[in-house]
Amino acid sequence: MTDDQSDAGGKDGADDQSAAGSEAAADAATTEVDDGDIPSWSESAASKIVTASAKERVFISVAAFLASVLVGSVLVYLSGLVVDCTSAGFLGSCYNPFLVYYFLFVDPFIGGFNVALVMKETVLLLFTGLSVAVAFRAGLFNIGSQGQLVLGGLATALALIFVAPLAPGGVLGTLVLVPFALLVGAVFGGLYAAIPGALKAYAEANEVITTIMLNFVATNLAFFLISTYYQDPESGSVQTVAIPEAARLKPIVPFFEGAQFSVLALLLGVGLVAGTFYVLANTAFGYDVRTSGLQAAAADYAGVDPKRLVVSSMTLSGALAGVGGAVYVMMVMARYRTGVPALGFDGITVSILAGNNPLGVIPAALLFGVMKAGSLSIDFSLGVPKQLVGVLRGLVILFVAMPEFFRLLARYTPYGPDADRAVATDGGDDDA
Amino acid sequence: MAVSSLAVHLDSITKRFPGVVANDDVDLRVEEGSVHALLGENGAGKTTLMNVLYGLYEPTEGVVRLDGEAMDFDSPRDAIDAGVGMIHQHFMLVDPMTVTENVVLGNEPRKWGGLAVDRLASRKAVVDLAEKYGFDVDPDAAIEDISVGEQQRVEILKALYRGADVLILDEPTAVLTPQEVEELFAVFEELTSQGKTIIFISHKLDEAMNAADDITVLRDGVNVGTVDANATNREELAELMVGREVLLDVDKPSVSTGSSALSVSELTVRDERGVVAVDGVSFDVREGEVFGIAGVDGNGQSELVEAVTGLRTPAAGSVAFDGEDITRASRRSRIARGMAYVPEDRQERGLVMDYDLVENGLLGKQHDPAFAPNGRIDWEGTYEHVTDVIEEYDVRPPDPSASAKSLSGGNQQKFIVGREFSQDPEVVVASHPTRGVDIGSVEFIHEQLLDLRARGKAVLLVSSKLDEVQSLSDRLAVVHDGEFVDVVDPATTTEEELGLLMGGESVGTVDAAPARGDDA
Repeated sequence: MTDDQSDAGGKDGADDQSAAGSEAAADAATTEVDDGDIPSWSESAASKIVTASAKERVFISVAAFLASVLVGSVLVYLSGLVVDCTSAGFLGSCYNPFLVYYFLFVDPFIGGFNVALVMKETVLLLFTGLSVAVAFRAGLFNIGSQGQLVLGGLATALALIFVAPLAPGGVLGTLVLVPFALLVGAVFGGLYAAIPGALKAYAEANEVITTIMLNFVATNLAFFLISTYYQDPESGSVQTVAIPEAARLKPIVPFFEGAQFSVLALLLGVGLVAGTFYVLANTAFGYDVRTSGLQAAAADYAGVDPKRLVVSSMTLSGALAGVGGAVYVMMVMARYRTGVPALGFDGITVSILAGNNPLGVIPAALLFGVMKAGSLSIDFSLGVPKQLVGVLRGLVILFVAMPEFFRLLARYTPYGPDADRAVATDGGDDDA
Repeated sequence: MAVSSLAVHLDSITKRFPGVVANDDVDLRVEEGSVHALLGENGAGKTTLMNVLYGLYEPTEGVVRLDGEAMDFDSPRDAIDAGVGMIHQHFMLVDPMTVTENVVLGNEPRKWGGLAVDRLASRKAVVDLAEKYGFDVDPDAAIEDISVGEQQRVEILKALYRGADVLILDEPTAVLTPQEVEELFAVFEELTSQGKTIIFISHKLDEAMNAADDITVLRDGVNVGTVDANATNREELAELMVGREVLLDVDKPSVSTGSSALSVSELTVRDERGVVAVDGVSFDVREGEVFGIAGVDGNGQSELVEAVTGLRTPAAGSVAFDGEDITRASRRSRIARGMAYVPEDRQERGLVMDYDLVENGLLGKQHDPAFAPNGRIDWEGTYEHVTDVIEEYDVRPPDPSASAKSLSGGNQQKFIVGREFSQDPEVVVASHPTRGVDIGSVEFIHEQLLDLRARGKAVLLVSSKLDEVQSLSDRLAVVHDGEFVDVVDPATTTEEELGLLMGGESVGTVDAAPARGDDA
């Protein structure tokens, strides 16, 4: 009851009064007096932290990253004190935090093979991260990128195996087969995501539930189809036969020779990031998507058909995941094999780390890629259990994913926003 | 009123916010037992000043004195203890709880050593209080079941229960019907006769003159004068408020009306709960005509407007645009046909709060080839358009890159009105177009509406401001409980008659025939 009155965004006049109290409180913080010609307070250092621009966001992320390293180091050191080892080399601890973080973050960048490992993970996460981000921007929680990737990958593998006898070999084959495969992946991923989209739009089914469930459906459908109809007779694991040689995405650059990584896939991923960014920022469709995600009622007002938008943005989201599935098949496995890693689920974290901004997906996916590769090298080189490394990775994400916490900290420093900031004068008041 | 001791003396209050001086050396003297109106435009610093008195803000300079004694409030709690009560515009009541529970909330009489609320004592305290000040409220009624006017009295009771001697009311009449406003002013008299002091914030000239003993006018954070309510007039007050002469009476040239541009027939609309909110309403809006709809908020206006603009599918009936049936047409196709719409809820619908003004300028026009040829948005063209709107409609701050949420409510409204009016629409649906807008801008928006009318556009105007619908409309429908009680000629109908119609009472003396032609 101590809040100032500002415009409560209520619905009907009669309902306004009840909701107004809490809404006014929330709104008051963001409303400003209109006496001044220019909102000069917004230029103060304080509010810049709150309305963090790109530069400050980077700054906050770096600070968060360093904080997580600090906390993780202490954890590693303490863990090293309680385990038994032959030589407790680091201040009485079995584990040296410096070495652990060296292997987690620096070693992945040394040598072609290591870099290729990083890039492989990064590229795959670009697609699923982008997929989740697009849905998020439309206000939809697509937990189903995993299933869309699985189905897109499966369809790609089967389609490639079917057309293999017809396709030319060599470079010409690559030029035909790779775009074809990407298209198949996009179509099947997209259609599979259109199902929860349509269910939400026309049957009011919550997309979180339906996409989670459809993940199981996709995984088990893939298992059933392969084990029953398309099993590779020469293999013990449940997988298809290999896709044609011409459809494989190869390293191309000698530096990465022998790795499951293709520069072509990286270019495709970065291209899709740029394309998605452009579509969201500069097209009428992207504007519809963003408006719906931010304020559904305003999107209605602006003439966006909410049902069609849900279906179309889910389809786009699924198509991106499906392309990821196609790349996974062509670049990593050269066939479809059950037991696809949780790329879709990691995509959710990547998207959130990226602030659901397509451009942010690149550094977020890279961070994931580096840590995945780094975990492997810790496993090889140091005796640190991978569970502990998993904790360190979790800490990094935890800290980076809570920029609000760091803004909160800033509030208690002299640079924090003035708590006494100009809250609404009566300028925000409603008449009725 | 003969008492001359000062109940409240705000002594040279200055309140600075980073970059903004909200109150600049304001001196406010309120005599005990008087009603004092604080008048000013949006952003004049009225609420800030009252928040200083209520302990929400600490003044940068100056002293708050109550009964001559300097006070130092750290929080509203201190102010309440010192006998200052504030009634916000949006009530702070718990809807499902009873009047009694709401009044004692936070200060309940206790029993069993403080373990339980003494309900009997609470009820008695509320009944006694209501009796003392002649309030007619049912102590056992749930808040959600009583009228807005009664809810307001509960708020006043709550302040009195906490021992308030000075009552601050922030825009108390905004949510009331004319009759309820009269009742509120009667309550003011009763309270002051028992020694209470009342300060109320308003930007309506008439009610300040009617209800107050003294009027202090704030402009740009400065006290531009305190006048005796009996010795002033509307023109003087308006000039004090705005700082220049204001045309209070709308000059409405006669315009020859054309054919029906918007035709609504037997329209029935249900609200979210499936309850019939609009019940078989029919009307026509002709080219060059302002068709007004007056009524207390929540009588189906919102649903009617949503059905007309394509945000809600009607249960029955039809809507026609230039003779073509658009009952089922999408919102987007209605926009494309030239239907501009100023929504009643600017922060939910009219603006995307996280967008800047450029992005908001595109809202609704993102598929218009003029702004997005081939689906690609022309941001530069949009930017220029938005700059024009900002300039023409005096949106402050005049910064296209400012986010919508950083603007005050009045400026948000001006921006929406500017955006909608500037696209040369055929039909304009304006729902509360001047809600929360200061008097100078109200004048400008009214001029723009009449300009549209003069250019032969059809205007459907919904407003709960009686003077607004009355002065602008060519024909005026009064809506109550989802039905048109009557369609009247606003020029020959008094405010009292309209007030009765708004309450659902048919008035026999009013000529029910529309001004020109007949109804569909």
